[in-house]
Parts: sequence; structure tokens; C-alpha cells
Amino acid sequence: MTTTRLPRITLWRVIVGLILAAGLYATYARFALGFAQSTHLTDPQPWGLWVGLGTLCGVGLSAGGFAIAAAVYLLGFERYRPVLRASVLISFLGYSTVIAGMMYELGLPWRIWHPIVMWNRSSVLFEVSWCVMLYTSVLALEFSPALVEKIPWVRARQFYLRWHHEILIGLVMAGTLLSSMHQSFLGGLYLITKGKLYPLWYSPYLTTEFYLSAIPAGLAVTIIALYLCVRSLNVRIDVSILSEVSKVIAPLLALWGLFRVVDLVTHDATPYLFMWREETLSFWLEMGLFVIAPVVLLSRDKVRNNPQSLYWTCALVVMGFMANRLNVSITGLQASAGVYYVPKWTEFAATLAVVTAAVMAFRYAVLYLDILPKNPPQKRWMVSNAAAEA
Amino acid sequence: METTKAILVDITKCIGCRSCEQACKELHGFPMETEAKLSVTALTVIEERGDKFVRRMCMHCQDPACASACLVGALKKTAAGPVTYDASKCIGCRYCLVACPFSVPRYEWSKLVPYVKKCDMCAERQAKGQQPACVEACPTGASIVGNREEILEEAERRILNDSKYVKHIYGSEEAGGTSVFFISDVPFEKLGFVAAPRQPLPTLTANALGDTPTVILMGGALLSGLYWITQRRAEVAMAEAQEHSAAAPVRPIDKERS
Repeated sequence: MTTTRLPRITLWRVIVGLILAAGLYATYARFALGFAQSTHLTDPQPWGLWVGLGTLCGVGLSAGGFAIAAAVYLLGFERYRPVLRASVLISFLGYSTVIAGMMYELGLPWRIWHPIVMWNRSSVLFEVSWCVMLYTSVLALEFSPALVEKIPWVRARQFYLRWHHEILIGLVMAGTLLSSMHQSFLGGLYLITKGKLYPLWYSPYLTTEFYLSAIPAGLAVTIIALYLCVRSLNVRIDVSILSEVSKVIAPLLALWGLFRVVDLVTHDATPYLFMWREETLSFWLEMGLFVIAPVVLLSRDKVRNNPQSLYWTCALVVMGFMANRLNVSITGLQASAGVYYVPKWTEFAATLAVVTAAVMAFRYAVLYLDILPKNPPQKRWMVSNAAAEA
Repeated sequence: METTKAILVDITKCIGCRSCEQACKELHGFPMETEAKLSVTALTVIEERGDKFVRRMCMHCQDPACASACLVGALKKTAAGPVTYDASKCIGCRYCLVACPFSVPRYEWSKLVPYVKKCDMCAERQAKGQQPACVEACPTGASIVGNREEILEEAERRILNDSKYVKHIYGSEEAGGTSVFFISDVPFEKLGFVAAPRQPLPTLTANALGDTPTVILMGGALLSGLYWITQRRAEVAMAEAQEHSAAAPVRPIDKERS
């Protein structure tokens, strides 16, 4: 994440280099040697890290763009406007990593276009694939002015921007609808695993739970990214916007926790809450990281108003969110699968490399496009001093 | 649907000779070694449970979870009974493996162009009026094939007329009903049969998916309403500010309106 703090110091560059090299080998292993050599996936565990982390977490953590866009354009929260473009970019890059990850995940990735022409409307995955396809296009369009305004031909630029202004509200509405649909449908993927998914995670309301949890997680990612921009990219934004965004997170997390507990109790899963099993531990880890700790921390003004504590609290939210998605997709299915799945290192490497590439793309976009307002240029040594002081 | 075929496996009659396994492997050109579990080269296997022999294969559900899960419709329930797989559509997402309540489909993990493998009840042979290879090879009549209604009646007749049988036909209710049935003299859970949900699994997702056009219409209306309110509030605020400034003794400079 902080690969960009000091351009001159090579440590981060070395780390990025190592990640990319490992990712390159993982890519070779996946496409030249196959699943058996690059993953620990088996028939009882057909979906592993690439789905659990790459797709479920990737899409969920990219929910910030639609939430902020809807807040600004549809609900009139003008205060968030300065961070709007950045959050749309984060989402767009997030979805790009999901699609890139799909190329590893699918057994026959060159057929990724099949759902466009081969329809099965009763498949949740079909709906997800269409929503992701359409929403990624919406995000690209929403973000496009940042690139178009760099075009030197005034007339072409103005023509495009005027057209874009016309369709913008429509885009935001479409984006909100598509996001709401596929964020929930990702949970809906697991509705069909009744009898296989552990009772602490199976629920007829998985769709609602996935939707409710994606919004605070996406906002937390937005806060993290913006904080890092302020720290390391000489960006000038009012950090009080971040603490204001975080005010929305705690109630949403509390709502999710409440919904989840009521759901478990009404579905007679109460005994599972305190069984001496690995699943119970994973469940409480998820609840602790995603609900209890952040809600307690974010209810304190001291935490919300201090960018650094806010940053770490948001990191907790993201970790808790990942715990939830990995629990649904991996932990919760272990017992019925009867196998113990630990991802192979190449699975981590591929995911990490794709995410690193997205972080680098974000960095260069912030540096070279007008994503966020910047401080007047300073000498390089001054920037590094300021960063060191912060 | 009276021509829908089904298979009945009577576990009390199976002697574990593995003729079904061999016939299946021979038909598909798989290596002939015996395998302990279903695999990409063993679409049916005999599992030994105590002194019982339990045949495993695709259950060919009436309303299959795999077919509803498959986003490109590669898996289909045919009117004749078998659930078939069209490899030319498959994109390799493996959602069918996740969705199957009986954990039947297998994936070619070690191939570079991997496909899903599962029993198709010899759909091609059946279309030509032949029996599935496994059933044809069974020397004791432990596996029989026939029209689904008749096969179910036969299974009922056997378990009602003979007290040794467990009074349940596995597959009659599991996953909303299948086209492969098992009857046994040992409780099914002791033979490794899963307690699959009783309703057809696709109904679980159908409710959640709902009617997409309705969702889009309702959601669109809701969002448009919110947008209208937001716009309206902004306009009102603007008008009020102007009224204020008009009433004020010193008018602030308003470049656009002056």
C-alpha cells in the first residue's frame, strides 16, 4: 500500500519488484502448468483464494465509488465532491483487478465472453457477470473526463465533456442500481449451497448481508487510499471529509452486526455461536474485526478526527470484511468438503501482483491526472521531509 | 414426461463386482484401474462401506442445482432424464461443483484446457434405445433403468414388501427429487449419503434473483425520486438565498444575475 512514500528509497521498489516477479512466476505456473501446479484447489474445494479474495473481496471493497457517487449526485452530499473522482477511480481499478483475477480463476479464460451470448437467466453468476461487465463500463465512463480533459484539442474535449454532462446522472443511477444488484448477488451465489455452507454463514438473507457489508467496507478503502494520498503524494484534501465519511461507517457496521445476529438467532443457529470449533473462532474473529472493534473505535471523536487512528480503524474494517468473505467462501465450506484448504503461495502471489499493479496505476493517475487537488510543487527533499514528519 | 428415464440402485443386491465401473471406463476410454472415489476418469465408482457396496454417480436431479448455477447454460436437464454437459459452452468457472448438493462434478485440475466431468446417464446410448453402460453391465440386477414413474413404483414395492429395507427411497425427495434412486437395508447416513435439502435448490436462488426488470424499474423510480428531491431542495435553497439578498439593504454582488 505504501509503496509510494519515498520515490528515492529503493526498499519499496524492491518489495514491489519481488511481488511482481512472484506474480509473473504464478502467471507462468497458472497458464503453462495448469491449476494442479499453481493452486491447491480440489474437487471438494473448487473455489479458493482467487474467488474468495480476488472476486468477493475485490468487488466488495470497490463499493466506495458507487456509494460516494450516489451520495453526491443523488442525495446532494456536496461535501464529498472533492473525493468523488478518486473514489470512482479506486472502484474502477478495483473492478479491473477483479476482471484480471478472473483470467486466472477461470479454467477457460479465453471464453470469458461466453455469458454475453450464452444466457442462463436462472444463474446468479450470470447476473453477477452482466452487472460487473456493465458496471465496469459505467465506472470507465464516469471516470473518463479525467483522461479526456487532458486531450489538447479544445473542440473535441468540450464536445465530449458536454455529452458526458448530459448522461452523467443516468450513469450514476445505472451505477447505483447495478452495484446494488451485484453486491447482493455475490452473496446470492451461496444461497444454493444450503446444506453445505456452515450454519454460521448460511442464511436466506445472504444477499442483504453482502450488500450491507460492502458499503462500509468500500468507504473504508476509500478513506485508506485518500489518507495514503495525503501522506505520500502531496495531495491537498480536507481530512475532515474523511472523518465525515467515517461517521457513516459505524452505523452501517452496527446495522450489519445486528442484522446478522438476529438472522442467526431466528434461524436457530444460536448453539453454533459458542461451539468449540474452528468455525466459531473464525466467526468471532470476523465479528470482532468487522463490527465490535470498529464500532467502538469509530464512536470516539478522538479516533474519527485523528487521520492516523482513522486509517488504522479502517484497516480493521477491511480486514474484518475480508474475514467475512473468506469465511463464507472457504472456512464455511471446509466441514462439508472434508478437506483442509490452504492456498498455494502462487495463489497469493497472483492476487497480490494484480492488486499491486492496481495500486501503482492509482499512484500514477493521482500524480499525472487531476484526480485530487495537489499542493504547489515542492523540491523533492521537502516532500520527503514533510512525509517523514506526518 | 412419462418417457423420463431413471436408474434404481438396490444396495442389497450389489456384490461389488465393479462391472459398472469397468463398463463406464471402457465406454469413455478411461484407464481401467479401479478408483476409490469419483474422479475425472471414474464417473461412477463402487465405495465399500463395511460389508456394503455403494455405487456413486451423478443423481440427475429433476431440477438440478448445477444447471441453474451454470451461467452459460452448459449443463442442462434433458426431457429424457439425463443432466448433460456441453463442453463447448463451459468457461471453467466451477460454480457447478460448488452448487451440487451431492458434490458429484469433477474438474480436470491437471489439464491446461480443463473441463467438467460427470456422468450423463449415457444420454446418447439412451437416445438410441440402449441402456446406460453401467446398468447393462450389472450382472445381479442391482442397477436397473426404466421410466421414472415405474422405477419409483418398483422401488416402493420392494421396500414395502420386504421388511429388511430402510423405509426411504434415497432420491425421491432429496434436492426435490432425482433420477437416480437408492434403496438399502442399512440407514443411508451410515453409507455416506448426504442429508441433502428436500426442496429443489434452484428455488433458493430464484426468490433472491426475483424479477430483474421489476427491480430495475422500482430502483430506477426510487433513485429518480431521490434525485428530484435533492434537486428541488437545492433550488429552494437558492431561491431562499436570493429572497434574502433581495430583502437585504446591501445587495451582495451577483455576477450572473446582475
